[in-house]
Amino acid sequence: MHPILARAERLAAYLAAWLVVALLLGVVLTRQDVAWGAALVFLLPICLIYAFVCLSSWYVCRATPLTSSGVLRVLGSSAMAAIIASGLWIGLARAWMSALASFTSAGPTLEQYGRYEPLLFATGVLLFLLALTVHYLLLAFELAREAERRQLQLEVLSRDAELRALRAQLDPHFLYNSLNSISALTSVDPAGARRMCVLLADFLRDTLAISARDRIPLADELALTDRFLGIEQVRFGDRLHVERHVDAAAAHCRVPPLVLQPLVENAVTHGIARLLEGGVIRLDVARQQDRLSIAIENPRDTDAPASARRGVGLDNVRQRLTTMFGAEARLETRTDPERFRVELAIPCFTDD
Amino acid sequence: MTDTSTPRLRVAIVDDEALARAVLREYLTQIHDVDIVSECANGFEAVKVVSELHPDLLFLDVQMPKLDGFEVLELVGRDVAVVFVTAYDEYAIRAFDVHAVDYLLKPFSAERLGEALAHARERLQRGERPPVQDLTTAARPAGSRAGRVLVRDGSRVHVLAIDKIDYVQAQDDYVAFRCEGKEYLKEQTLAQAEGMLDPARFVRIHRSYLLNLDRLARVETDERENRFAILVDGRRLPVSRSGYTRLSARLS
Repeated sequence: MHPILARAERLAAYLAAWLVVALLLGVVLTRQDVAWGAALVFLLPICLIYAFVCLSSWYVCRATPLTSSGVLRVLGSSAMAAIIASGLWIGLARAWMSALASFTSAGPTLEQYGRYEPLLFATGVLLFLLALTVHYLLLAFELAREAERRQLQLEVLSRDAELRALRAQLDPHFLYNSLNSISALTSVDPAGARRMCVLLADFLRDTLAISARDRIPLADELALTDRFLGIEQVRFGDRLHVERHVDAAAAHCRVPPLVLQPLVENAVTHGIARLLEGGVIRLDVARQQDRLSIAIENPRDTDAPASARRGVGLDNVRQRLTTMFGAEARLETRTDPERFRVELAIPCFTDD
Repeated sequence: MTDTSTPRLRVAIVDDEALARAVLREYLTQIHDVDIVSECANGFEAVKVVSELHPDLLFLDVQMPKLDGFEVLELVGRDVAVVFVTAYDEYAIRAFDVHAVDYLLKPFSAERLGEALAHARERLQRGERPPVQDLTTAARPAGSRAGRVLVRDGSRVHVLAIDKIDYVQAQDDYVAFRCEGKEYLKEQTLAQAEGMLDPARFVRIHRSYLLNLDRLARVETDERENRFAILVDGRRLPVSRSGYTRLSARLS
């Protein structure tokens, strides 16, 4: 939306400034022995129209943003736009003048106008450039505000993710069931019970450490999901199988923490745990230059309705990715009768 | 040999996780007057075991694939005492609401299991059986509609999808679900079945009939002013006066 047209008080101030311009141009015209009345009849309409023409400089700003366009391009397109706009204005002024001359005796004479025209043209160019500058300032102002808003939103969401991560460690379902497995193993397989304790402790510690950071190497997130799956493997035994295909080039991508783990957790709780025979969770990670794509697929209960809820985990991941990457993040889910698939693609940043 | 003061207790363990079954087995084998008659990895097996081996007590996990603990309770709760075993506190609270003998929160101690066994013995000695009505509502959280109907036929369980049911007919102490050309009997009243099914889909057209609106082709009136619902497959069901009022309200 246009920053001046969108707000009535801004438009009023803008038009008031143009009234001053018209009066100043009028002063010059009266020096050419044109009467005040004739000068204003001539100038007020064309100034009003040019005021709105200058508003179009907003679209020049949008088309050539300062941040991503070269200096020459910005200067070139600004000058070009100013000359064209002012040229059109002069054409309009001439037509208006001849119309005034032929129908009434108001307005300046042809001779007076001829001497006045170069000044009018130069003024038109300068005013257009001035309007352009104002618009660039407004644009920068809006971008800064938008960036601030997004930053705030991101902070809120990542704080939220931290809380969720904390809560996940105290998740009654995961934690109590793991402890119950340990309780079972203590007598039949003491070494296994100890392994499970270590796995659980490592998983909790890693989750805490990772959730406090902004970006982590994908390799760290994969290690965390491995620990998680290791714990669930003890619980589910033969029912849980995992097939992993991880592109070695993807391991260095820096990603927001706890993006993958909640999705893998969903695959276990909504997939494997609901099937008598369990099944295979597939995890595919691939990198194409600066894009990282991840797919997680799990078998599902064919009797379950297709709209079965996937919990808050998926929503939270989607929200965080959108806030962080905007339109560059993509997260899609697909529900077949027998399988559920989450695909996500985000930009891949590396340290090097 | 047998202890005459406390009869031996025959129990079955139902949990989809092998390790969770192992804890119970370990604790229970140390108690001299308890026999484990079976271990089941899912709800279908549990129903079969109850019908064939008649255990006194089930240790029943809540979160299981296909048939969860509450659904198993709905199907066999009249024939066996149930102790729920779960990691979820909120399920434990619901378990009490539906007349489970007791509940064990995972992980639990041998002492806590001992208390649950004592409660079970008390309940069994009193010979109480939970009312059918409580059991049928147990399978669903309060206020929600069933997504499917479970019918037990001896040791077998039929899972009826709601949209496959043509109509429900009252038959003495049972209701019959007409579904894909077959009839399935369930021990409940028609009013209970009505409460379980979506009222936007099923209409009580008669004292003895609950009709799936999708199956209705038209309504006919004979020369004696009796109305009949003609179903898509040509079957005729009687429509009472108040049933016709309800039907018209739904169709207009």
